[in-house]
Amino acid sequence: MTRYLKNSAAFGITGAIALAAEGALAASDGGGTLPQLDIGTFPTQVFWLFVTFIVLYIAMTKIAIPRIEFVLEERHSKLAEDLDKAGKLKADAEEVQANYEKALADARGSAHELVGAAKDEASKANAKAEAEADAAAVKKVKEAEASIEAARTEALSNVKDVVSEVAGEAVQKLIGVKVTKTELNKAVAAAMEAK
Amino acid sequence: MASPVAQFELKTLIPIEVGGVDLSFTNSAAWMVLAIAGVTAFLTLSMSGRRLVPGRWQLMAELSYEFIANMVKDNVGSEGRKYFPFVFSLFMFILACNLFGMLPYSYTPTSQIIVTFAMAFVVFIGVTIIALARHGLHFFTFFFPSGAPVYMAPLLIPIEVISYFVRPVSLSVRLFANMMAGHTMLKVFGGFVIALGVFGVAPLALIVALTAFEILVAVLQAYVFTILTCLYLHDAIHLH
Repeated sequence: MTRYLKNSAAFGITGAIALAAEGALAASDGGGTLPQLDIGTFPTQVFWLFVTFIVLYIAMTKIAIPRIEFVLEERHSKLAEDLDKAGKLKADAEEVQANYEKALADARGSAHELVGAAKDEASKANAKAEAEADAAAVKKVKEAEASIEAARTEALSNVKDVVSEVAGEAVQKLIGVKVTKTELNKAVAAAMEAK
Repeated sequence: MASPVAQFELKTLIPIEVGGVDLSFTNSAAWMVLAIAGVTAFLTLSMSGRRLVPGRWQLMAELSYEFIANMVKDNVGSEGRKYFPFVFSLFMFILACNLFGMLPYSYTPTSQIIVTFAMAFVVFIGVTIIALARHGLHFFTFFFPSGAPVYMAPLLIPIEVISYFVRPVSLSVRLFANMMAGHTMLKVFGGFVIALGVFGVAPLALIVALTAFEILVAVLQAYVFTILTCLYLHDAIHLH
């Protein structure tokens, strides 16, 4: 009994309550000894403790713990798998984006190239047209020069004819000598040359 | 009015006697059976769905598992893994006995010193065997803290030896005394409720508060018993 009172007191219950408890104990019919100290009950308690505990231990190791571990393991692997999948999908998405960007850059590059080629072609055609135009101009200039030269030579020969005719007639009238046409031409050419 | 300690008396339900030793199936044994049946039912039925996203019951079972698994991992280390089933069973057994004892008309097997002492003694013997198997004679250095001056040995070694051998006593008395004191107190105040008539409302209110407190103690003491077992296992495996 004192032991039980000590325990109550140890539990933070005041002395007054402990005394009251003692009063309650004294009034009861139970008497003094604690049932816990009855050595005769020890074998059965230890026996049933071991029986029940061993049964519980077997139930835990064979059924309960594997079940819980199975679920926890499965959840763990499922989570890992899902994370893995998500990572893979992300990588895929990134690859698609990279491909898209590459295609875009390629398109841009070929567009540049096309533009460049078109520009080249245009400038080449331009240069050719220019050259052709130049050549045509030069040719026309040459033709013109040639026709001018021809006109000039013709004019000159006409002048020679007129001059030799005039000179022949003048000589006949002045000195009455008939000069041949060949001699006249020769004299005119010499005179023009000397001039 | 019955004595406040009369609730701890064993009542034989099925008399069994083997070789002159009384092994009767008593009310205490019945509640131990109910406790293990309750634990097994709780942990197997709640997990029967094996759902990936747990329901309430499954979550409680998983939390019990992880609570003890983390306790073993934190206090014993990775070598403690193989002792986990024992520690887990021990915790669930004590917890169920303590909590079932809070039901009206039930019996609390853990309020018996012999029951708690038997458990503590098994832990003590088991831990000592593990320590001897792991470290052999080196185990005895456990009784002399390394780094202490040699001339302190005559003082330190007896202290360490005594504290080691007192372990099963302190472990068992702590659980037993808490359980017995709580139940006795409830009974005493229950007596007051009857004796004081109308004014019994005051002790009745106190009983309500104490009942909640006792449920806390029931869980706490199961935890304390288990974590001390883990610490002893740690000592056995790592020696300090």
